[in-house]
Amino acid sequence: MAGRPPQGVQMLGSLLVAIAIVAAAIAIVTAHFGPTSSAELDAREERLEQREENIEELQELEEERRERDR
Amino acid sequence: MSPSADEGPDFDVLRSTAMEDLVESITRGNPTEVKVVLASVVLGLAVYQVLLAAVAYGWLRLPFLQQGSASWTHRASGDTILVLTLVIAIMCIGYSGFEDGGAHSIVATILLGVFTTKVLVVRFGGRLGRLLPLLGVAVLILFGITWLTSAGDFLGVG
Repeated sequence: MAGRPPQGVQMLGSLLVAIAIVAAAIAIVTAHFGPTSSAELDAREERLEQREENIEELQELEEERRERDR
Repeated sequence: MSPSADEGPDFDVLRSTAMEDLVESITRGNPTEVKVVLASVVLGLAVYQVLLAAVAYGWLRLPFLQQGSASWTHRASGDTILVLTLVIAIMCIGYSGFEDGGAHSIVATILLGVFTTKVLVVRFGGRLGRLLPLLGVAVLILFGITWLTSAGDFLGVG
């Protein structure tokens, strides 16, 4: 039919659309995840552990200081 | 009764642990996220497949796409979907196991059955070829429900 691109171009174009759909699906879904990758979660867990350790250390120092004051 | 130490290792447990380790290492500790991405890619391509099939059957006429080209891309994209679906199924069963009575497991099993039937009809169907549009729409609907009961749930859509 007149006005239609050659068949090779049609095939390439329709394949490119499929690739674009794949790329869009990956981009949308991974953007939806946010900071939930295992690396992010590990880092967050490490920060929490560090904070708990700091709090415990401070409590111990406080107790030591109180005992010294007595 | 639990097996005694004399009975040796439980090979089922060892096999399932090895599979879990393999999936964990391939996905670098993000098996669910990888499955959700792959399932979403498959769903997107499945919708595109129906559009291409409509052009290939002549039900939808586009000025820039002929039936032959649409049919060729439909097959190429379908092969990709088949491979991705098998990968997801193997990861799902190997990592999470088969949940008896779960909606996701039931729908996914039906999906695999209908999908296999469709592939067999495409290859050797002959007269059964007239069932292809029906099978194609059924596969798309089953993909949608399977996605909603797993990836959709995970993404807060289902």
